[in-house]
Amino acid sequence: MKLPISSIKEYTNLDIPLEEILHIIATKIGEVEGYLSWEEMYKGIYIAEIINKEDHPDAEKLAIYKITLGKKDEIQVVAGDKTLEIGDKVAYIQPGNIVPSTYKTSEEFVIKAVKMRGILSNGMLCSERELNIGPDHTKVLKLDKGLTVGETFAKEYNLNDTVIEIENKALTNRGDLFGIIGLAREISAAKSKPFTSPEWYKGEGVGVSKESDKYSLEISNQSQALCPRYIGIVLDNVKVSQSPVWLKSILLKSGIRPINSIVDITNYLSILVGQPLHAFDYDKVVKRDPKRSDKAHITIRLAKDGETIQTLDDNLVTLDSNTLVIADSTNPIAIAGIIGGKDTEIDENTQRVILECANFDRFNVRKTSMSLGIFTDAATRFTKAQNPNQCLPVILYASQLINEISKGEIASKIVDIYPEYIEQRKISLSIKKLNAHLGTKLTKEEVLTILKNIEYKDIEEDSTDEYITVLVPSFRMDINIAEDVHEDIGRIYGYENIKPVLPKRELTAGKKNKVLSIKSEIRNILSNSGANEIDTYSFVSMDLIKKSEQDPNLAYSIKNALSPELSLMRTSLITSMLSKAQENIQRNIPTFCMYEFNLAHQKGNMDNFELPKEQWNMSLLFTTKEDILEGNPYYQVKRYMEKIFSTLNILNIEYLLVNTTSQENLPVWIKNILPTFNPKSTAYITHKGEIIGVIGEFSKTVKENFKLPNFTAGVEIDIEYLSKVERENKVVYESSKYPSINQDVTLQLPRRVEYKQIERIILDTINTRDRYATVECLDIYSKEDEKRNITVRIEIEHLEKTLSTKEFNKIVKKILVKTSKLE
Amino acid sequence: MSKDISKILKQIDDDIHTLTSSELKQKYLSKKGIVTELFQNIKNIPNEERKEYGIKINGLKKLVEENIELRKNDTQTSDLDEKNIDPSAPFDINTKTGKRPHILDLKGSKHPLMKELEVILDIFQRMGFDVMESKQLDDDFHMFESLNFPKGHPARDMYDTFWTEDGFVLPAHTSTMQNRALRRYGPPPIRVVLPGRCFRNEATDASHEHTFYQIEGIYVDKGISLAHMQATIKEYLEKYLETELEIKVQPSYFPFTEPDTEFVISCPFCKKKGCSTCGFSGWIELMGCGMIHPNVLTAGGIDPNKYSGFAWGVGLDRLTLIKRGITDIRKLRDGDLNFLKQL
Repeated sequence: MKLPISSIKEYTNLDIPLEEILHIIATKIGEVEGYLSWEEMYKGIYIAEIINKEDHPDAEKLAIYKITLGKKDEIQVVAGDKTLEIGDKVAYIQPGNIVPSTYKTSEEFVIKAVKMRGILSNGMLCSERELNIGPDHTKVLKLDKGLTVGETFAKEYNLNDTVIEIENKALTNRGDLFGIIGLAREISAAKSKPFTSPEWYKGEGVGVSKESDKYSLEISNQSQALCPRYIGIVLDNVKVSQSPVWLKSILLKSGIRPINSIVDITNYLSILVGQPLHAFDYDKVVKRDPKRSDKAHITIRLAKDGETIQTLDDNLVTLDSNTLVIADSTNPIAIAGIIGGKDTEIDENTQRVILECANFDRFNVRKTSMSLGIFTDAATRFTKAQNPNQCLPVILYASQLINEISKGEIASKIVDIYPEYIEQRKISLSIKKLNAHLGTKLTKEEVLTILKNIEYKDIEEDSTDEYITVLVPSFRMDINIAEDVHEDIGRIYGYENIKPVLPKRELTAGKKNKVLSIKSEIRNILSNSGANEIDTYSFVSMDLIKKSEQDPNLAYSIKNALSPELSLMRTSLITSMLSKAQENIQRNIPTFCMYEFNLAHQKGNMDNFELPKEQWNMSLLFTTKEDILEGNPYYQVKRYMEKIFSTLNILNIEYLLVNTTSQENLPVWIKNILPTFNPKSTAYITHKGEIIGVIGEFSKTVKENFKLPNFTAGVEIDIEYLSKVERENKVVYESSKYPSINQDVTLQLPRRVEYKQIERIILDTINTRDRYATVECLDIYSKEDEKRNITVRIEIEHLEKTLSTKEFNKIVKKILVKTSKLE
Repeated sequence: MSKDISKILKQIDDDIHTLTSSELKQKYLSKKGIVTELFQNIKNIPNEERKEYGIKINGLKKLVEENIELRKNDTQTSDLDEKNIDPSAPFDINTKTGKRPHILDLKGSKHPLMKELEVILDIFQRMGFDVMESKQLDDDFHMFESLNFPKGHPARDMYDTFWTEDGFVLPAHTSTMQNRALRRYGPPPIRVVLPGRCFRNEATDASHEHTFYQIEGIYVDKGISLAHMQATIKEYLEKYLETELEIKVQPSYFPFTEPDTEFVISCPFCKKKGCSTCGFSGWIELMGCGMIHPNVLTAGGIDPNKYSGFAWGVGLDRLTLIKRGITDIRKLRDGDLNFLKQL
């Protein structure tokens, strides 16, 4: 929203320095995006008169003009427009000044005295585009003959002003602040001065209100819900012209291009109070109506699917049944609240006008504007919610201005369809509650003063000091409850005047979040073990899921994705790990271990609330292209996991080979990632029989797809489960004061016997109340395929003595007997 | 034409030794594959040459297909050859002592965002707040409706929200958790922070990301005021930035708060002198905050006549970038270990 500071002065009668206005807006209204001095922008531009014209001897398209600034001076300027005549008035930039259309842009252009094809040009004559007041850059703009030669352009056009730009965000719900009067009201209140709206805006409004029966206007509203109010008036004997300078000037400063007096007046009202209006050419409306009669028919209705309209900006728009239109008896003549139709636009020959001032449903205007992709000033203003009660005063004032500027007179009844009048809301406030809410100590009088300054009315229904009841001004569509009024008071009083105080509270501690804690613990362990944490997008491509050999149909697809690479929600973390591993290998990092904690989603895997189930997982990947490790990479990743489990004292973890384990009843997320791994070198991680993760070597295809070294393996594990696991936290064995004794034992066993079986036998055989064994695997050797030699070092600690070798041998014998039975 | 075909034949010959089966398929037989395009080209071949051309390209197709089959079997047989490993063993069969699995002496690291998050959550936990992490797929009710955004409300535009085809929403702010937090931690006093990943459908560049981290906070109790909000947020920021701050609260607009405000702090890096971090203004706009709207409390099962509260939502990424001297926000989620190892 653009706000010229001259307008603030006009409507508040206060002379406030720019700095202070900016502070008031920023602290009480909304963020200031910036401000622009128009005085600066038009510096060095003067009204000049053409006094001589010659052809350029060497350039067919150029003319040499002599101009004067009125002091018997004569300045020579070369221009690319040969249509100017002696006596024409133009805007002239003196050398050394900036072309306004480039002011404060990255390409500021300073005019210099230069030779053009050999002839000196002392400055430049401006087009409307260069003056920043219109689109045409093909010819020099001819100015009003009545202007004073030699005067500055800015002064003659009333542009010696500064325009503040306020960010729309804070005004989202404030239709009234999309008008200069609305902003002036709050700025005045901020200076503790009561604001009074102009007479014409108050109540039912004043103006040329003589109704007439000369023309009849029939309006039928078939969509009351989307158009709560519609007023139409016919104005006769209109002389369409250029607008007077003051009107053009205020429009320009508000960022609106002047068109003609009628359109400009409707736009002027919208920048004053936020209410958009529209003007139709009465005769065009009557003539183009297929059911011709001698009167104008206006119908407010939803469009039929496929109906079209040629809009003012010359686009053919196809409508659908959600679009509200203004139509004649048959065809649309405007898209309600958004843009008018070309066929009924006002032109210089227009004699009769149908003036429309209506209220349209903000949500429908927004929806239509979005779906048609048409974003106009009117649509923006309707979207912020306009007050239907203001339609009548606004249309009457517009008629009055048209009468003053373009001679038009009201020539019909004022047709006003407004079946459900919106009463002004009454809101009661408790001063105590208000102060408790804001943390202030305001008195009833202070509160009332603030509210009255922004045109609330005090209804003295309660005479206590504790309560007040106010009548909300009807332009404040955003005020519905007491808390809304609290905000008004807080803003105008000034948040900066509220002293921060910490809340008093009971001395309770926050509850521990177990998932966050275990993530933090694991993060500590891994980062101290040379692993790097990464954080990757939740979005993946179809290709990435396919390359991971997973099912892309399990992925939620993004309706409005930024690109195909970011079009699916990942179904596992391991997919992201693989693609990041590929990138890091390409970065020539030879060996790394990386991990991520995050959420993944699988279609059909829902939680108790019918939302996609979310579970914190960790994924970790190890890869090396160096010759530093041997054997299956599974074991290296297992080493990291064991480090985590042992540090966290999580016991009862077992690894079950995928290839030899039943795949029944697997969780969706586990089943989803299995195809990524090689089943012969991949295991389920289980805890007390519960499958909580998958760890292993990636399948050959996956490694090839991601161009990963052969020694690459990974894991994905349910962290939420781990966070709930009860950890071993008691001492199991007292440590003995007698030295322990150890022995290395080699066992030859069939290959299918797993290491854990041997370990179990050893521990079960040795561990008693006073004996405690530790087992360390020293070597696993296999020459032939079906046998393995496993060498373990068994260490025994006894609470009461040091075991003799004889005793130890006896134990080993027992163990050998037991293991020999393993098949 | 036949020259082209022999060229392609030679290329296939090279490729079947280097490419995987899926790469072969992609390169030659996919919709835009080389062989597929040859087939599409058949209409441009003069009638008399068409038959010969057809035979040639059919031959090519067969060759590629055969090799794809062969390469597939290759992978399978090599997987078949392998023996099951013993997953319970600490290392593989016949592994030399020095090359057994071990924790390597590499430079480890925590992700900078997570480090920052841990610091911040620690402060809030010390202040007596609970923590509940946010969701990445949610519904319209939590993201909008329960936060007093009716359907079609223009303020929904302010959140460039991603949607899934199934109608789920990717939260554009952690406020999506407010309703859950009110219900889970109510009745008041409620003090909870809600960190999580958020998404906005906007083009990315060095300072904009479609994915970012936010921390929501809510505090509900009897008699909670805007003055309490100012002091609580100030307290947290001062502990976090380890410096004293001046603060400003400015008007803003959010449907789920009333009053709606923006929290601005004096720049902790230049002490209000003006620097590149604060855009030479001396002030940094840090977060949206405000008093929780009564409708939001009601939707969360809290009686707004008895209780009031405040909420805020602060982004984590920008703070992290500033603190770590990172100039491109995209580096945070790029997974570049050369970059991450430094942090």
